[in-house]
Amino acid sequence: MVTEQKSLLTYKTEDGFEVNSLLVTPAFASEEDLYESPIIINLYGVLGHFLTRGTPVRLPPLLKEKNISTLSVNTRMAFMGQIMGEGTFPDTIHEMKESVNILQKEGFRNIYMLGYSLGANMTAYYASQTGSFGIKGLILEGCSYSLPYSQQRRLERNRSIPSYEAIYLKAREVLGPNPEKKKNDQVFIVYRAWGDSFNPVDAEMFTYRTWWFMRGPHAYYAKTCEIIKDVEIPVLFIHGVDDDIVDVWEPRELKNIMNQAGNEDVTLHYIQGAKHDCVENPKDSIDAITGWISKVNAKT
Amino acid sequence: MKYVEQELISVPVGKGRVNALYYRALNNDSDKRKTVVIHVHGFLGNFLDGSQRFLPPLLAKAGYSSISINTRMANFGLFFGFGIVDETIPQIDGVVRYLGEIGYERIIVSGYSLGGGVVLRYLSVKSRQPDSDELGLLKGVIALATPYSIPDSIRRRWNKWESQPSYDEVYEEAKTILGDNPHDSKQDRTILIFKARGNSYQPEHTEIYTYKTWWFLAGPEATAVKSYKQIENIKLPILLIQGWNDTFVKPGETHNLAQIAINNGNEDVSAYYLNTGHNLDGKEDEMGDIIVRWLDRRFV
Repeated sequence: MVTEQKSLLTYKTEDGFEVNSLLVTPAFASEEDLYESPIIINLYGVLGHFLTRGTPVRLPPLLKEKNISTLSVNTRMAFMGQIMGEGTFPDTIHEMKESVNILQKEGFRNIYMLGYSLGANMTAYYASQTGSFGIKGLILEGCSYSLPYSQQRRLERNRSIPSYEAIYLKAREVLGPNPEKKKNDQVFIVYRAWGDSFNPVDAEMFTYRTWWFMRGPHAYYAKTCEIIKDVEIPVLFIHGVDDDIVDVWEPRELKNIMNQAGNEDVTLHYIQGAKHDCVENPKDSIDAITGWISKVNAKT
Repeated sequence: MKYVEQELISVPVGKGRVNALYYRALNNDSDKRKTVVIHVHGFLGNFLDGSQRFLPPLLAKAGYSSISINTRMANFGLFFGFGIVDETIPQIDGVVRYLGEIGYERIIVSGYSLGGGVVLRYLSVKSRQPDSDELGLLKGVIALATPYSIPDSIRRRWNKWESQPSYDEVYEEAKTILGDNPHDSKQDRTILIFKARGNSYQPEHTEIYTYKTWWFLAGPEATAVKSYKQIENIKLPILLIQGWNDTFVKPGETHNLAQIAINNGNEDVSAYYLNTGHNLDGKEDEMGDIIVRWLDRRFV
């Protein structure tokens, strides 16, 4: 008998970043059953971590009830990473790789990845750049068509201060011709980024470098629409029908791109009664995820 | 031999929850089993880093259980307006009550840096509530690398580096934005202070607040975190520890805090210096030994 567990794991990536993650596993009759059962690596949205309300904190216990384990991973973009400068989008590939490695070494054989919001773009990036190393399928919740495009539209709609264009010009000035070199950087605030006020709740913060690689017009890896054609494993999109952050057409277009590139194993499921966080409708979300995993597992 | 069990827990407090990492010592010493230490994080910290992470295992090895908590000041609470020092009091109260309910009879409250200021404020407030349920459980306080006065410390640092904007400019702006009643003001705004921690515009030398969080943590009227005003009310055993080479908290600050406590009638005040800096790096074991001896002599 393997008892259920909820453990904090800490490990280092190949570039030395210390990853904290939360492993939640149900009880199983044997270790063999545990390692044969599905496990999902979870990644989160902007400023998110494994204790953020909504999907990050609610999904693991809900999935545990369905005999699915989860490893919820705090990447370098968790907490204040994008604000204080260490949270560079492309570098998160190290945390995702190491998390897969850890689970494989432990003995897990049916590994999936689920990304929520920004996490969805991160997991799509991982799968596209690694040949989906170590994972059997991707679940993309509230996935934006393109992080740069999405922010540009939002800032224009809210008449942000500074504007998207002004941020770009200032970023070029601060970072110079080689933004990837960690020399100059600076924190900045975008007022009226999320709504029509100067209150903190409507503000957004980055450093110019984290913005450049996540939201800037040259942030290639964050343009999911450009890279998702290279994802060749099964993909499930779940998306709240009332999502007020990512439009409902965005996952549909991403699905079309994948289909045109030859990946026919792409499912799009809209969740009724949910906004950006699909777990606002827990039953529909969990049914969609567990049903899809059963189908993928049955094929392989 | 396994000497600690670690569990991620969420303590309901009012309408919210306090996330915490609970370290239960696995020893058979019944005297120590009744004692537990609450750890409160420093500036922008959380229970995954610093002394909140390295102290609990050291204490558990000696037989003491601990709980490291995330208050409203954790992570980016200061950036978005909800990290107000006095609003941590009901949170700590909730954790104290929870620990009492699960059988602890002696609770020591410990904090690092800003967290030291928070716990001194907490015990000062509790000392003036003789009928509170929590007071009977509270038996001592440990303040690590704790400034004599957080507002004075911040003002001194900003003036030293010629911050932009200056301390006085932020004070004037805060008065304008927040009006006559800063706590209930509907107006607030996130602000950046460049050159707050060093002579550059780089993120590591930048500080972020809202006017409201600045007012209650760093402003000249932030009495709650002027620790010299709080420690005079505390009559429980006090242990103060700081690094001799701390560049944020001068050695004299711990000495002066201890002297004020003694002058106000506290007969059990101890102060120790370690040959290290503000982060107490490299002296973790030595600090653990000091704390364990201090606990053993008073609570076993």
